[in-house]
Amino acid sequence: MSGIVIAIVVLTILALVFGVLLGFAAEKFKVEGNPLVEQVEALLPQTQCGQCGYPGCRPYAEAIANGDKINKCPPGGTATMEKIADLVGVDPEPLNATEEVQEKKVAFIREDECIGCTKCIQACPVDAILGSGKLMHTVITDYCTGCDLCVAPCPVDCIDMLPIEQTTKTWDWQLNAIPVKQVQEEPQC
Amino acid sequence: MLTLLEQIDKGTIWRSHGGIHPPELKALSNRTAIEKLPLAKQFILPIPQVGDTALLTITAGERVLKGQTLTAGTNFTHCPVHAPTSGTITAIKPMPSNHASGLPVLSCILIADGKDEAIETHTSEISKLDNQQILKKIQDAGIAGLGGAAFPTHIKLRPASDIELVIINGIECEPYITSDDRLMQEYSDEIISGIAIIERLLTPKRIIIAIEDNKPEAFEAMQHSLNRSELSSDKTRITSVPTKYPSGGEKQLIQILTGQEVPSGAIPAQLGMLVQNVGTAYAIQDAVINGQPLISRVVTVTGQNSEKPGNYWVPIGTQIDYVLQTNGFKGKLEQDKVIIGGPMMGHSLPDIAAPVLKGTNCILLPSSDEIAPEQPEMPCIRCGECAVACPALLLPQQLFWHAQAQEYDKAASFNLNDCIECGCCSYVCPSDIPLVEYYRVAKSALRTQLEEKKQADFAKQRFDARQQRLEDEKIARENKAKEAAERRKNNMTGTDKNAVAEAMARIKAKKAADASADTSSTTPAQDKKAQVAAAIARAKAKKSLSSEATAISADTTDVVDDKKAKINAAIARAKAKKAKQAASADSGLTSEPSNTVAVDDKKAKVAAAIARAKAKKQAQAGNGEHNQHTNAAVASEATASEFKVQTDVPQSAEEIKKARIAAAVAKARAKKAQIADSAESTRVDAVETDVEKESELNSQADVTQSPEEIKKARIAAAVAKAKAKKAQSTGSAESTESTESTESTQIDAAESSQQSSQTDVPQSAEEIKKARIAAAVAKAKAKKAHTSDNVETVQTVAATPSDVISQADAPQSPEEIKKARIAAAVAKAKAKKAHTSNNVETVQTDAATPSDVISQADAPQSPEDIKKARIAAAVAKAKAKAKAKAKLEEKE
Repeated sequence: MSGIVIAIVVLTILALVFGVLLGFAAEKFKVEGNPLVEQVEALLPQTQCGQCGYPGCRPYAEAIANGDKINKCPPGGTATMEKIADLVGVDPEPLNATEEVQEKKVAFIREDECIGCTKCIQACPVDAILGSGKLMHTVITDYCTGCDLCVAPCPVDCIDMLPIEQTTKTWDWQLNAIPVKQVQEEPQC
Repeated sequence: MLTLLEQIDKGTIWRSHGGIHPPELKALSNRTAIEKLPLAKQFILPIPQVGDTALLTITAGERVLKGQTLTAGTNFTHCPVHAPTSGTITAIKPMPSNHASGLPVLSCILIADGKDEAIETHTSEISKLDNQQILKKIQDAGIAGLGGAAFPTHIKLRPASDIELVIINGIECEPYITSDDRLMQEYSDEIISGIAIIERLLTPKRIIIAIEDNKPEAFEAMQHSLNRSELSSDKTRITSVPTKYPSGGEKQLIQILTGQEVPSGAIPAQLGMLVQNVGTAYAIQDAVINGQPLISRVVTVTGQNSEKPGNYWVPIGTQIDYVLQTNGFKGKLEQDKVIIGGPMMGHSLPDIAAPVLKGTNCILLPSSDEIAPEQPEMPCIRCGECAVACPALLLPQQLFWHAQAQEYDKAASFNLNDCIECGCCSYVCPSDIPLVEYYRVAKSALRTQLEEKKQADFAKQRFDARQQRLEDEKIARENKAKEAAERRKNNMTGTDKNAVAEAMARIKAKKAADASADTSSTTPAQDKKAQVAAAIARAKAKKSLSSEATAISADTTDVVDDKKAKINAAIARAKAKKAKQAASADSGLTSEPSNTVAVDDKKAKVAAAIARAKAKKQAQAGNGEHNQHTNAAVASEATASEFKVQTDVPQSAEEIKKARIAAAVAKARAKKAQIADSAESTRVDAVETDVEKESELNSQADVTQSPEEIKKARIAAAVAKAKAKKAQSTGSAESTESTESTESTQIDAAESSQQSSQTDVPQSAEEIKKARIAAAVAKAKAKKAHTSDNVETVQTVAATPSDVISQADAPQSPEEIKKARIAAAVAKAKAKKAHTSNNVETVQTDAATPSDVISQADAPQSPEDIKKARIAAAVAKAKAKAKAKAKLEEKE
């Protein structure tokens, strides 16, 4: 009988001790905000294009942390989707965009046609368009994320999305991509 | 334990890991001396060749000389490009590059003129130059690493840390290539003097010239040169290194010579070591001593497809196809490869129009027998041969595994970036897997990823900055708006500084009120009596008009009577007003009717609107008599008949119109008055009693029966009215008399009639008309007063505009009258407003203020003064309003 009492007492004390410990730990090592959001945001391409349906990459990261689908980021492509799938712990899903959308592009303003309305400047989320009212605008290609947001506001449709040209520096060593010359089979003599 | 330097001095050589021993095949090209290739007709000079940015110093179409700089730098890393010969820059456009991709890069196209005119060059003594000048010379000569990597030499020779060991790389481990071998054999003295310059710049503890043991001639030549040179043999030694591929790699060579391994991601300079190619040493010597820029280099042209394999001085920018042409290319371009570099690390050229660059040490033209045909790739059997062969101590099979699966992150975790792409793994692979190609793809993918990550971070930074900016702008805007609002408020209170003037006016009003209260000392009861009397007088006038409309003679008398009655009414009103001012002192009574005031006033206004409309209609229909439906109709008829009487007298059309307008206004007022008055029962009684008085007045008026006299009388009446009002508003003595009883007003009226008789003599017809108009207006006012006179306060308000008009009566010009009328109308409107919005107290004071102001302005009679007075009245009104508002706020 006394054994049972001792057991109960000991267990109760243990429970109290651990309870206090856990409570202290919960206070001491409290994490502000959802760290997952930061991690997901770090994976997103930061084009701020809004193709996911959210106004920027951070809102989408927050949405993913809250359980939204992970396949809504065409600029990030499959690689980003897979990384997010790994991080969040969900199954990878096929991207909800065509290959064409995934091609990296940058905006280009046909400067002869620009009327200097500054609408694209206001639309650009990364301040990559240079210009002033009634003066020609131009895109700083290095800053352009290819988000497409400047195309729609242009009243004269002088903005094109051009694919980024490959240079020797960005060449990906896909040797089979080198144009192959057609070899004429010569008869052996 | 020997130190490193002691071990180096002893000639100790360490073993490097891995490596292979491929067939050397150097004998093809190292038997002949370096030849000069005939000058080409066209050169392609990619800009910039080394480094990222450069500014063009020439334009298309410009003539350049041999050795002329084509680019200027933007920073110290810049490595200029020089014209290899004299000629004309015909175009600057993208041209096929000497790169595995063959992608076009921006290039200057130089058409040689064959003269080969050079810019002036100056030879100089090294001893007379300081280090900075030497480095400047090296930079200006555009010297880049000639071993293949083409890294700008002037950067390498300006290290951040002390260099203890300089290694001169004469290994040339790749098969086929013999350019360094030949250079060492033929230009050993120049190379040694180049090394002396490096020694001068870096002052290392030791210099090792490393030469593979398969180049004994070169070794010997270098040894002789070294012995002849000023370089101390204690510091400098030539070390023969056993032949093994790839001991020529920078890191591998360091390991062989010192036993130290360059950490992953680090450069040899961090270990205090520096590696330079023998070709670079030669170029340094040429640049510093001879002042020659780097415009040509030794290129090995070899392979079984080459007619004359050997080494050639090839100007940089010479197109490869020209080299092949002059050398005698035996193969077929479509089938046979042209490889830039050696067979292990080189790349085949997609377009042979590409130029020779600073790093191009070999053009390999192998026949199809020479290079094993590409074998189909077989699965990796994980034999581990590649790991044994790898000089960088990597695990090529693991790298391959991940690269194939495109798991580049995992490949990177196996130190993919430390791969030197030497090709040993591919060489030993039993499955013929082109491993290096996989690594190159994986490396470029990683590079792209890194770049994208960088761009993403940058984009985020810019996005955040933009968001911050927008936020700041928003806040700034809000603050601005707030400030503006504040300023507006301040300005408003600024205008309220007129409050001083307002206060002055108020004080005056109070004084006046006090004075009147003192002198009059009327009781509230008397006030009421006075009002009743006034009402009676007014009612009388109306009654008389409505009842005696039929007879013309009676009409005329009626008119007179009416006027008199009106005079009485005006007097009574004035009295009432005074009384009211007095009453304001006794606050007890005034608070009572406050509620009814607003309601009645509103009703009156509504009624007025309706009545006005009716009156207009009637006026249009004519002046004829209509059936009397309502009291209002009676009143309107009365005024209409009155109007008729006036029109009977010869009058101009314009004046008739004016008169009609006045009549219409008067009618409307009358209607209003009756509608409002209908509630009051006392009025009815009063009317009855008034009849008697009326008759009395009639009898007085009967004396003057002729139309002219009637007119005059009317004028007189108007003048009298005005005077009476004036007297009441200004003089308190008179008002006491007038307020005491209706009898006294009658006396006043009698006096006024007397006065009228006096004024009869000098008056023109025009003046008479004007006076009539004024009278009509005054009448209207009087009626107005009736509308709301059930409440005391309203009378005071109404009195104010009537006062204004009475003043306006004095000047006789039509224009001024009109103006006065407008002012009166405005004043009336103000009074009404004030009445509806404010309580009794404020209304009283408000009304008092303008009236007082105006009464003060009464004295001077000139038009100018009147105008001023009007302005003053308007100001006073505005002030009164502001004050009323302030009071309301206070109460709230």
